[in-house]
Parts: sequence; structure tokens; C-alpha cells
Amino acid sequence: MEIDSDNGAAITIRDADKDHVDLVLKNVDLSVANSIRRTMLAEVPTLAIDLVEIDVNTSVLADEFISHRLGLIPLDSTDIDELSYSRDCTCDQYCDKCSVKYELMVKCNSDSTSNVYARDLSKFNNNKILGDPIIKDKDGHGPLICKLRKHQELRITCIAKKGIAKEHAKWSPCAAIGFEYDPWNKLKHTDYWYEVDADKEWPKSANCDWEEPPDPELPFDYESKPNNFYFDIETSGSLTPDNVFMKAIEALQLKVAGIAVELNKEGVEGNDASNGGFTTYGKTPGNQSPVGDSYGSGSFGASSWS
Amino acid sequence: MTTAQFRTLERERRFQNPPKDKSAYPMLEAAVAPHVGSFNQLVENDSNEGLLNMAVKDIGYKTMFDSVDTDRLGNKLRIRVDAVEITKPTIPNNDKLSINQKTLPYECRERMISYKGKLRLKVAYSVNDEPEVTEFRDCGLLPVMLKSNRCHLQNLSPAELIDHREESDELGGYFIVNGIEKLIRMLIVQRRNHAMALIRPSFGNRGPSYSKYGIQIRCVRPDQTSQTNVLHYLNDGNVTFRFSWKKNEYLIPVSMILKALIETNDREIFDGIIGDDLSNSFLTDRLELLLRSYNKTYGLYSKQETLAYLGDKFRIVFDGTPDLSDIEMGKIVLEKIVLVHLNGTATTNMDKFKMILFMIRKLYSLVSGDCSPDNPDATQHQEILLGGFLYGMIVKEKIEEYLNNFKLQVQSDLTRGLKVNFNERKYIARVFQRINENIGQKLQYFLSTGNLVSQSGLDLQQVSGYTVVAEKINFHRFIAHFRMVHRGSFFAELKTTTVRKLLPESWGFLCPVHTPDGSPCGLLNHLSHKCEITTIPSNVSSVPSVLSKLGVMSANTVCAGPSMCCVQLDGKIIGWTTHQQGKVIADTLRYWKVQGQENLPVDLEIGYVPPSNKGQYPGLYLFGGASRMIRPVTYLPTSGTDYLGPFEQVYINVAVTPEEIESNTHSHVEESPTNILSILANLTPFSDFNQSPRNMYQCQMGKQTMGTPGVGLVHRSDNKLYRLQTGQTPIVKANLYDDYGMDNFPNGMNAVVAVISYTGYDMDDAMIINKSADERGFGYGTVYKVEKVDLGMGRRKGEAPTQHFGFGDDDWPEEWQNTLDTDGLPMIGSKVEEGDPIVAYFDDVVGKTKVKTYHSNEPAYIEEVKLLASEVGNEECQQITIKYRVTRQPLIGDKFSSRHGQKGVCSRKWPTTDMPFSETGIQPDVIINPHAFPSRMTIGMFVESLAGKAGALHGIAQDATPWKFNENDTPADYFGDQLLRAGYNYHGNEPMYSGATGEELRADIYIGCVYYQRLRHMVNDKFQVRSTGPVNSLTMQPVKGRKRSGGIRVGEMERDALIGHGTAFLLQDRLLNCSDYTQSSICKRCGSLLSTQNSVAKIGKLSSVRCRSCSTKFSKTSKFVSESEIWEDGQGKKFVGGGDTTTIAIPFVLKYLDSELAAMGIRLRYNVEPK
Repeated sequence: MEIDSDNGAAITIRDADKDHVDLVLKNVDLSVANSIRRTMLAEVPTLAIDLVEIDVNTSVLADEFISHRLGLIPLDSTDIDELSYSRDCTCDQYCDKCSVKYELMVKCNSDSTSNVYARDLSKFNNNKILGDPIIKDKDGHGPLICKLRKHQELRITCIAKKGIAKEHAKWSPCAAIGFEYDPWNKLKHTDYWYEVDADKEWPKSANCDWEEPPDPELPFDYESKPNNFYFDIETSGSLTPDNVFMKAIEALQLKVAGIAVELNKEGVEGNDASNGGFTTYGKTPGNQSPVGDSYGSGSFGASSWS
Repeated sequence: MTTAQFRTLERERRFQNPPKDKSAYPMLEAAVAPHVGSFNQLVENDSNEGLLNMAVKDIGYKTMFDSVDTDRLGNKLRIRVDAVEITKPTIPNNDKLSINQKTLPYECRERMISYKGKLRLKVAYSVNDEPEVTEFRDCGLLPVMLKSNRCHLQNLSPAELIDHREESDELGGYFIVNGIEKLIRMLIVQRRNHAMALIRPSFGNRGPSYSKYGIQIRCVRPDQTSQTNVLHYLNDGNVTFRFSWKKNEYLIPVSMILKALIETNDREIFDGIIGDDLSNSFLTDRLELLLRSYNKTYGLYSKQETLAYLGDKFRIVFDGTPDLSDIEMGKIVLEKIVLVHLNGTATTNMDKFKMILFMIRKLYSLVSGDCSPDNPDATQHQEILLGGFLYGMIVKEKIEEYLNNFKLQVQSDLTRGLKVNFNERKYIARVFQRINENIGQKLQYFLSTGNLVSQSGLDLQQVSGYTVVAEKINFHRFIAHFRMVHRGSFFAELKTTTVRKLLPESWGFLCPVHTPDGSPCGLLNHLSHKCEITTIPSNVSSVPSVLSKLGVMSANTVCAGPSMCCVQLDGKIIGWTTHQQGKVIADTLRYWKVQGQENLPVDLEIGYVPPSNKGQYPGLYLFGGASRMIRPVTYLPTSGTDYLGPFEQVYINVAVTPEEIESNTHSHVEESPTNILSILANLTPFSDFNQSPRNMYQCQMGKQTMGTPGVGLVHRSDNKLYRLQTGQTPIVKANLYDDYGMDNFPNGMNAVVAVISYTGYDMDDAMIINKSADERGFGYGTVYKVEKVDLGMGRRKGEAPTQHFGFGDDDWPEEWQNTLDTDGLPMIGSKVEEGDPIVAYFDDVVGKTKVKTYHSNEPAYIEEVKLLASEVGNEECQQITIKYRVTRQPLIGDKFSSRHGQKGVCSRKWPTTDMPFSETGIQPDVIINPHAFPSRMTIGMFVESLAGKAGALHGIAQDATPWKFNENDTPADYFGDQLLRAGYNYHGNEPMYSGATGEELRADIYIGCVYYQRLRHMVNDKFQVRSTGPVNSLTMQPVKGRKRSGGIRVGEMERDALIGHGTAFLLQDRLLNCSDYTQSSICKRCGSLLSTQNSVAKIGKLSSVRCRSCSTKFSKTSKFVSESEIWEDGQGKKFVGGGDTTTIAIPFVLKYLDSELAAMGIRLRYNVEPK
């Protein structure tokens, strides 16, 4: 599948399934490609259990250990946009608008050990899919949280919140992101060290088929830049891979827009060259010359700044 | 190449259904066998009557008389101990409430008491040789070893052990003393019953004409107590016999001993030493002198005469009773002192006589240079003093002391003029009551302090350091304790390093890798994992007849020197044969014993020393006693298992691998080359690729790892326990790892490690941890601390308690209930910080509710609260223990290490987006710097990384046993192939991209999976900062010590550095401003610091600083002074003048120094400028 746009950036999706997509991103700068990668890893908001109120815990695991395990359970975050960040919310601590609440009430009454799985988490507002624990195994258990022996009991309330992986890894929608460019190493960015025979010691990248092999006759083009970026996005399940990609671009756009807005603001001290700002950032300076006295001429210090 | 398995399901099933028959890890049981086995010997067991019963026989009678007259003995009382009994630990007699009579070890650990059984002595006494009266005496409670035959846990299956609240594979081998697990560590001592030739300069200090030559033999009685005999060579050719008794040394001419032993003559002695070597003039000259000078000095010829002489001289020393004749006394001396290992047979004296002749001959050979001295530091001449045997020795001495005390009590009754009547039962009972019968307590003291309180010294060289705490930091540490062998603390102070050297003789017995570096290096060794210690003397009864069948001539018919082969069995001369024949006999014996023929024990040590040119003294020395080190090897002629001892191994060719066997050279082959390594050294993966010191470091670091100390932590109350939350089984492990069940106690986690210089935060052994890995729980650990609260501390015994747990009816702060429950105890799971109440109690005396508070600046959670009842269980609860859980997630400054002696400190938690990543999107959990490798040469870590990566990609475990690869089959190729098949670079390199820019890094990065350990050294226990804080009241300088929030000393060398750099401001800041900066007043006129004082403020005049010595006392009669110039001190005395003072900044100690000097009448005067 090819997705083209006017400015030349193009995406070729080579393979995709529920939690993994393999795509080629073309005609963008390396910095853009890496920014997308970084954003996917760390700045796509998802839902994860953040607060745990433990009423009873007679299991063998410590409270904080169970809390940690609960936090790492991937929760369905497709409709995460419906939720606002807790810190932006008008409520005191948490409310329905910024959180999802769960209860975990299990007690073992059998003689054998019983397992507590993610499916045992019962969500409060159950008419939405937002926040459903991701269950992938065929038995429909989901991740194992804890094991209980007879008479051991867990009575826990969990509050899941929106967040990004920059803050804690539990909010990351991605397991790993494969990333490659220039599989033939035409740009000579790296070395491919070998002992005897590079071809035998180095396996050929699967992405080599997508690019022309280097022509040994051609002179080295020192001006060429990487153009095709091979992404292999694998998610934890909280978001579908396409969602991750789209939301990453959205997040990236928002960040860039945020910078642009900030830069265009009047009254940003550094922008106001007439008041001795550091730079004009492309804005027309006032009637004064943009540059003050050079260091040599004026006395050092405040004179040239005021 | 062998393969390894994860055995996950096997282990899981075993956890769920512990074996009901026997442990799944017999090798672990074998590891502690020396400890348990030696303790089992103490009391009656399958093989003998018990060492303690033998010991009391050896002690024999104590005789006493009831007369105070000097010319009359009076009635005779003989007392002895007939038998010793130790019961399994039970509840105290006065406990009438408990249904279960057993005391189990877990209870002792939790209640912090000792695991003790009753020690009972069957005392027998007779008056005037009438029939004996026996009586059982309770001699206190004796700590018993876990899993011994006096422990409830003996022979329990793992399932039963779990029912007894122990680990499924509890090993035992240690004692529990006041809740602390203690073990007696093994000690290296001289090999028993073998005469060793020594050259020791200190032998010359015994007296004039004493030389440095000597023959020493450590004789061991059947009860495992020992007595050392030494023959000294005197420069004139004479030989003296030396022994120690009750820490005093005694010297006897050897001829006297010889003549006292049997009825003999000079001719017989002469022939017995020389044999047919009549041409050896060196020997004949000296022998002649030896015999002549003795006859000339003492003039004692017959046995009776000599015995009487000896008996007379040693009557006082040996505490002889007046009813014994001198001759009887002499016999006692010989029996107690001379070659005591030969006691107890019909031919004892003859055997001793012959052995001494042999020793004299060996001594002369040593002096003439015909034989070399034996090396006492070589394992060949060493054996192990086992914990159980030492314990028995102490008990024996205490029993003897007990009998002596009985005698002393009778004597003191006599001297005080009390009525002494042996025939009256009441009197005997009274004597028993007045003496200290608590032997158990003395042994408990020994175990808890490791100090040996002994009159005799037990023939040992040290008085302290016998016991160590069996720390359960992790399982490596714990198991290593039981394999630890110490050379003796006497050698620790020795300046020479010869004792510390690794000698080839120790091959296969002591691990060459596993010894700490630093002061105990080479002194504290660990047994190789296949080395066993015999605890039961082998049955050697058939040996003499086998020997005579093989043509050994009886010792009664021949005597000879080194020209013949002397055949000895456990220090007894069996006979003589030729050297050629000796070799044949040795080989035949070995064949037979491996085949199990002729009733020969397989662990019989057959040390054939061939004749040599000035080498070790030749002979055929057979050993079958206890305490010997033995190890299994394959015997080539029969392919059976032979057990080698260190004495014989020196003369046996053992091939290390089957490939290197050469016919006609090798008689044995190692079962595995890894047999020479200790348990821990075997667990280092690919240790054969590392530089050897790195393997030593790993052995140390494995023991400091925050791992899994055990599974039944709820039934333990250790002061401090470390626990790794999510330990893993290593992908790369030696197969022995599973044999020792190490997976039950995981010690670390598999980490993706990139070797790359990235960000600069990995400089100098620092390592970067991936922030996301940390957040997902990498290296997360917990520390458990236990605090005991005892309300009965200040209370005397028998008094009613005045403090009671719980809240009283008075008013107490509401907020206490935040952490405390209604019963006054802390709530499980609640968080406590410094100053928070942890328990409330009501004090009757003041009628108020009080709390104890939490004292640690680190927040903790309450994990457990245990109520400890009193011993008998009929009193109110006065003690509780609180277990805290302190969470320790990895922090910057925490220490980690791989298994190759590569330790590092976490310097940053780097955001995952900024970490380098591979084309597959793998980001390292840990980054280490490539500079960690060139100088340390830990190639094993590279191999582990490679193997781990291949294992992770293929989902297999990798065997990392050392010496499995060779030059033609390298691990790089083996694992490289695996990597290539998984689509990775052959050498383990991968192109990586910068996380920050996305650019491909210039070089390929070596990345793989390495097992990482988290060490227990954590910043939270170490950091020390202070701006202001407590100061010493005398000097006003900051106190020292982290605990007291003191400062870190800027010492002389630090001061020198600051001076050297010319950083004057910093220097003043450190030494003055941040230390004892004080402002003090000084008199400018007289320059005194001490004579200034504040005047009393008056109306219209503020207080001012005045110099008392510069002012004059104001009196009405003196000449007029203005009222404004008069000042007053605190006592109302009036002065004039002395106002020329100022304030200066000085270190406070200067003022202190001034005061001290003033006290000695020395005045300090300071010039203060400007004036």
C-alpha cells in the first residue's frame, strides 16, 4: 500500500497485523524519521494504572510489587483522546473525565493455588472499550498478576490515568521499533567490521531488496543523504500500530506547533530585539540596529543591553 | 559441546510438590557433609559408641580423700563420667502448657533463642573401691547442629522440611545461637599420626645447643583430641622429646622415654635406629653420644627405675594423687603424652618404642641432609579440623573440668573444716550443687563468640575466631561458608607470605580461585567442590594381615633406616620391606581397594614415598583416619572410582583429561577438570577465558550480591536480609548450576548489554541503565530489617511486668493511630518514617501510654509483627519483633556487576529514547564502556554476551562450563554460527543508531545478553553529607561517623593537597569555617585569650568585654576614678581598666589548647595587630 502526498513524503506499508506494522518512510529527512520514532516510543499518550489503593493484600507479594505489576498491564487506549490528563482536569484528584477506575477483588477458596489475571480487573464504567486490559492469550486470561493460596485475598482499587512513556515506561504503546536506513551502507555511515570476509560474517539485511545495490564503478557520493527509512513498529497492544504512528505524528505536530506559537508571541523577552533581545528569530526587528555594540567597543556588561 | 537446559517446568513442579523421599540436590547435602558428619560422631551412632563416650573413658577417674592429716589418706572417693547423652531440643521442663514437646529450629530463629538439647552425664562414683553408684546429672542445654542426629530435622524429606517451616533443601551443618546461625569453621591442622621432618629456626630458641631440626608428630586419640610430640636435635647429637601440657612445655631426654616404655638396653636402641647401616659414621657417632650422655647424667637403667623417676618429676604437673606410686605415675605420663594414637592395644608400649626409634632415625637423616624437610604448608601434610570434632574436644575438656571442680570443692570443704562424708548421699549431692554444672552454657559462649576458653589449649594455635555467622545474604554466600577452610588466625599475623602461597599439592583439594584478596588471601581457602572430608575412621582392621600376605616383614623381626621401606598404618609401624616390593605392595593395595577386595576401604590412603636422592623420607604410609581430605578420581586399570588423599596424590600421575593419558605414566584420570574448582568458582561462566584475578573477584562479588537468601523468609528474623524482587535463571550457566539447585535462589537478571562509549556517563567503570528497564523492574530489590522491642529489658527476674503492649485509658495523641492498630501494634503494610510510632505500650509506673519510634531516615513498610512469648509461656507478652520492608529500587550510585569481576556503579538512568538502538529496535538495558576490557582481559564476559545473545535468539540455555572448548573449537565459532543462523552478525556486533539523532553510529557495537548481579553496596547505606550538625563538645569540631550525621575528615593528606594547589580559601573553609570556627575576645594589651570576660551591664552602660588581668581592683580607698570607668563582674566585684579588648576569629581548639597549657602553668600570649 502506497500513501503519497504532495510534498514528496511517502509511506509504503509492507506488512501489518494487529500489533505490528512494517513500513517504509520515504523522502523525509533523517531528523524527521527519528523524531517520529522517538515520539512513538515516548510521547504517545496511553492509559495505564497509576494509583493503587490497597485495602487487603494477604498475598505473598508486597503491596508495591503488585502495584508495579498492575501498572505494567497494557490497557486499551484507542479512545484515549476522550480522556484528559489528570493534571489538566478540573477535578480534585481524579474523576471520570481523566481516569478509569478498576476493582480487583479476589480471594482464593480452593485448596490449590489460584491465579489472578488481568481479566479479573473489573472496570467501573463498562460501556466503553477504553481501558479494557489487553488480552492476547487464547485462554483469555491476560497477564498474570499474582498467585493466591487458600484464604489469601486481594482487595484493590486501581485508577488508570493518561500519560506518556517519557514519565514512566508503562505508558509506552510500543514494545520495540525497528529502524533502518541505507541497508547497503552506501553512505558509509558505518563500518561493517569484519575479520575475514564481510559477506560471510554479515547477514544481508532484508531491506536490501528494496534498494539498488551499490555500483562499485560509481564514485562515492558524499552529498547524498538517507532517504528511505524502514520502520518495524511493534506495539504492546494498548494501541494499534497505525494508531501509534498517527498519534505520534499528531503529537509531533502539536509540539512543533507549540514551538511556533511560542516563537511568534510578542512579549517573549528574547524575541524583542528592541529591548535588547538575543535574537529576532526571523521577525523584523525594531528601528534599532539588531546588533548592539560589539564586545570590544562598549564597556562590558549592561550598557549595550539596556 | 554439551548443552544446558532451563529445567523450568521440572523446578516448577518441584516447588508445587516437594519430593517426599529425598532431596533433589544430593550434591548440596554432600557440601555440608563434613560438618554434619563430624557432629554425628559425637554421640552414639551407626559406626561407634560416640566420641564423647570415648572421651570420658580417656578422662578416667578423679580420686580424692577426706582426710586433712598429712600422714593419713582417709576415705577414698573415685568419680568418673560413665556416659554422655545429648537429647534432641525440647521445651523446658517447667513448661506445663505446651502440647508439642519439640523445639524446632524455625522457632529458635524467630524467637531469637538457641537450638539446644539437654546434656546429661552419667556420673559414677565409688567410695573405698566399693561398687559404683551412678547418677544422672543435667549439665545444661547444649547447642546442637541442625540436621545432625540430635536434630529434629535429620533425615526429613523436602516435603517434611517444608512442614517444619524450613527451606525445602535445608542443609543444616550450623547451630542457632540466640537466633543467629553460627557455624564452626574448618581449620587446617597438621596431618595426624605422621612424623614430619621440620627445619624451624625457632626450634633453636628452646635452649643452648638446641638446633633448628626437629621431628613433629600430631597424635590423635580415638576421641579426636590430639597431643603433639616433638623430637629436637641438639647440636651435640643428643635428642630431646618435647610436649606441651596445659600450655606449658616440657623437655625429656628421648632415651628416658625409650627406657621407660619397655625393658630395653642400649644395644637394642642402637640396633633399632641404625639397622644394618653400621658404616654410617655420622649416625653411629651421634647415637653413641646419645646413649652415653644419658647414662652418664641420669644413671637410670631399668624400666622401673626410669618410670619411677618420670613419675616423681611429673607428679605435680599431672595432678597425681597420693595413692599412686611413682611407677604408676610414670605409666600415666607415658599414656597421656607419648604417641597417644598408639594407646589401647596390648603392644602399645612396643609400638611407641618402635615409632620413636623411627622418628629418631628420620631426625638424623634430616640433620645429615639425607632427607628433605617436609613442608607444613603443603596440603600433603595437612588435614582438616572439623567443627564437630572441635566441639567434642571442648565438651571433653569441660567434662574434665567438671570432675576437677568436684574434687576442688571437696578439698575446699576440707580446708574450711566442713564435715566431709563420702558415704552420705546428701553430701555428694551438696557438692554437685555447689559446682557449676552448666557445661551447655560454656559451649554456647564458645559458639556465640568463637573464643576458646581452655586450660590445655587443645593442642591448637589460636584462642579466638573459631566460629563465624552463616550469613544469608544470598545462597552463594551461605553455601560458601560450609566449604570454607581457614589456615588459622596464627598465620594471619605472620609477616612471611609463604603460608599463603598456592602450592601444587593442593590440586583438587583446595580451590585455586576461591580465596579473598586482601588480608585473608591464601589463608581462607575453599574446598574444591568434589573434595570430601572423612568423618568416620575407615575400617582398616584387615590391612595388617593383607600386608603380611604381601610380604611385609614384621616390625619385630627387622629394624632399618631409609634403606628399607617402612610400612606404617595410621602412625603405627606394621613392618618393613624392600623399596621395590613396597611399590608393588602399594600398587596391589590400590588395585584391591578400588576393586573392593580383601575388605580394604576405598578411601584408604596409600602414600608410597619412593627412595630418592635427598627427597622426602621414603616409606609406605597408609592412612585411614577421620578428617582427611579425599577426592574421587577414575582409576585407569579398572575404570573404577578411587579416592585420592593429598599425601598419596603427590606420587600419583593423574591425567586431567582422557586425551592426555599416556600409558605407563598415568594411573588415574580426573573425573572432570572442573573438579578442582569450588562451588562458586564453578558457577563463573567461561572462567577459562578470564584473567585469573577476575575470577577471584567474581567469587567475592557473587557473595555480596543482593539475591535470594531463601524462600521461607517469613520464618526468619535476620537483622538484615536482601532480596532481589525478580531474579532470573541465567541463559548462560555451567551445568553444575543446576546440580547445586542454584535456580531455587536466583542471584541476578539477564540484561541486554552494549559495550559502547556513549554519553560519557559510562566513564571509569560507571554503567548506564536504561530508564525504561529500571521502570519495568530491572534490578529492583528489597531490604528486610528486623527490630526487636523488649519491654522487660530493665526488669529483674521474677518481678511482675510494669509495661504492657497496647493503649492505656489515658489521653494520648490521636495521630498515633495512623500507623498503630487498636492493639498498640503497627498495622501491616503501613509506611513508617523517622519518628513515627511503631508500638504503643502502657507504663504502670507513670500511668501513661508511651510509644517507641522508628529510628532510621529511610522510610519503610511494616512487613510483619511477631509476638514472642516467654520461655515457659505463662507470662504476659513482653517482646515483639517488627520486620520492616525497605524498598530499594536501583539508584544512581548503586553497584552492579557481571559474573566476571566487572563491577560498576550506576551513573545515570538514561531515557530510553536517547539510548542507542539496533536495527531490530533492541535497546540495551545496560551500557558499559569498552575501556573496561583491555587491561582486565575478561574475555569470558564477551563469550557470555555472545552465548547469551545466541541463547536468547534461539530460546535455549547455554552451557558455560569451563574447559569445554579448545583452540580448534572456539566458542566464538560455536556461538557465531548460532548467531548467523538467527540472522545476526557472526561476531556479535550490530550496527546501531544514535537514539538522539537517529544517525547510524560510526562503528558496529558489541551487544549481547549478560547476567547481571546487583551488589548489596547501595548509596542509601553509604551517602554522607553534612552542612552543620553535631559537634564534639570539647573541641567544637564536627563529630565523625555516618550514623551520627558527622562530617568526613579532611585529613593530613587532603590538607596537603589543598596547600599544594594553593587554594587558600578552600583550605580555610575546610579547616576553619566548616569546622570549629569561633569568635573569641582577646586582650590587645596582654595578649591573653583566657582573661577576658563580660562586665555586668549597668544603668546607662552596656556590658563590655574586659580583660581581668589588665584591670585593677577598685577599692574606695584608692585614688579617684570616674564612675563610668568602673566595671563590675558577676560577683559584684568592681574593677577599673582592662578595656583594650577586641574580637578575633580562631579555631576553638586553640582556646582549648590555651586552657590546657594554662593548667600546666604555661601562658600563651598573642600579638594582636593593629593595636
